[in-house]
Amino acid sequence: MSAPKLPRSGAALLPTVVVAVTIGAVVFGGYAVGGALSRPAGPPVGVAGAVAIQPLSGWEPAGRFDEPAGVRLTRGAGNLDVVAVPFTGDAEALAGEYVRTVLEPGAERLSVSRRVEHVRTASGLPGARIAYVGLFGRALTPIEGEITAIVSPSGVGVVTDGWGPEGVLRYIRGDVRAMTDAAEVA
Amino acid sequence: MLFASILIVTGFLAVEQQEVFRELSPSGWALSWALLALYVLPVVLLIYVLDLYEREPVSLMVGAFLWGAVAATTLAAYANEGWGLVVARLGGPEFASRWTAVLTAPLVEEVLKLSGVVLLALIATDEFDDVLDGLVYGALCGLGFAVVEDVFYFVSVFGGTPTGVLAGFWVRVLSSGLYGHVLYTGLAGMGVAYFVSRRDEEPFGRRLAVAVGLVAAGLAGHVLWNSPLLDTFPSRVDDVGDLLQIPLAAALKGLPLLAFVVVLVRLARRRERMWLGSALRSEVGSEGLTAVELSVLLDPVARRRSRRDMRRRAGDRAVRVLRRLQREQVNLAMVRARATDEDDPAIAAQRAYCRSLRDALAAIPGAAPAAHDSASG
Repeated sequence: MSAPKLPRSGAALLPTVVVAVTIGAVVFGGYAVGGALSRPAGPPVGVAGAVAIQPLSGWEPAGRFDEPAGVRLTRGAGNLDVVAVPFTGDAEALAGEYVRTVLEPGAERLSVSRRVEHVRTASGLPGARIAYVGLFGRALTPIEGEITAIVSPSGVGVVTDGWGPEGVLRYIRGDVRAMTDAAEVA
Repeated sequence: MLFASILIVTGFLAVEQQEVFRELSPSGWALSWALLALYVLPVVLLIYVLDLYEREPVSLMVGAFLWGAVAATTLAAYANEGWGLVVARLGGPEFASRWTAVLTAPLVEEVLKLSGVVLLALIATDEFDDVLDGLVYGALCGLGFAVVEDVFYFVSVFGGTPTGVLAGFWVRVLSSGLYGHVLYTGLAGMGVAYFVSRRDEEPFGRRLAVAVGLVAAGLAGHVLWNSPLLDTFPSRVDDVGDLLQIPLAAALKGLPLLAFVVVLVRLARRRERMWLGSALRSEVGSEGLTAVELSVLLDPVARRRSRRDMRRRAGDRAVRVLRRLQREQVNLAMVRARATDEDDPAIAAQRAYCRSLRDALAAIPGAAPAAHDSASG
């Protein structure tokens, strides 16, 4: 058997370059195209004068709620709940508080990720991100979601909760993170 | 360089991913790998022996497997997420959750696996000298991909408990293991090998058309598998009947492609045998090959029988030498094919090597009759 050969000439290198470009296009192309298709749409939506969130194209306000004050944006089966509360602890504590006071009371079964991802928004605020799955409502619908909790130095706690039926979250996660990242917190 | 770089970078990410699975369910993760080892070993053996005459270098085979298991799976996880976003942008998240597996995942995964096989063909073009070589590298790449994807499914989708892992093993390996990535990338690999190995025989356009056709066949098989078409899998498993329905449903989707690949393999093997016969016919009577040896060499059943007889008469050591002799006689055909003329010193050296192996075989007590049989023509 002959020893493996390395491409030497420019002509031999060309196919390698074509393969490299193809791999790059396949791996990163979706994000580039998806980003180009995703643009801010409509005016920012505010919650209790504490946070303003800019919906991306396809997302629409679906309602407001109290206790805690919040707004729901939807896109098909995907949802983004944004709530704002006064809070003086850290982001991880706020995420835990949200799980205890908002998610657990409505869930028949709830499983929250043990890993906490520490993130930072575009404006530099630190945040904590966790994922969950559970059975919610009378119909015990399987729901999966991702919470990002942010606490501003002025004592405003903001939680964004992107959620949807099983299998949907992965297709809204990009938008949810982008809107969370760009949120303006007082 | 590109092949190794991608493999190293994705290797770190792949290990990290396995760490996550192990943390999620240590026992389920370990059981997954143990069960998959039972699947991988016979499949690797089957792929290895598919190429009757020229065994591929182990280093390249390992490279193909690792590309599928490490590079292709890691890159595909990232790429599928990105293209899923595009489908979600265009059709909404619900549509994306139903159709991404059909619309983008097959193309993304097949292109990434195929890239590894193409890079191997660029690194070691001489090793892609027949369609079966491409099948071997492609199938190993697909096998690597399937194994890592199975671990993901066992731990994440089937729950990661021992019962869940066993259920996953039944659904994805025992019921569907004959189909899937091994076939898709095997076909694509055949396309690559056809394109590379027929440079002197076929015009560029025809080679390209056949290669694209084989890659497309693998892709179509993947799309069909992921699509709701011909889907007779039970929506839930309540009893033994549902369990037994799973392999039948898998066969309905997978058997046509498997049959297609079997036909291609048979054609490729026949062509390989014809090539070997024509390459060695003029060697009969030289010190490297006798007429009887050639007839045994061209007939896989006769080859196995000759080794069985040798083992009975002269033991394992003699079988090893006989196997070596037969392999080097196949290599004699390769050397002839690569030589520029009949007086090439490499041909004389290979003939002499075969002769020395035959002499060594004859010197083993009990082997002489078989050696005589095989040399008497």
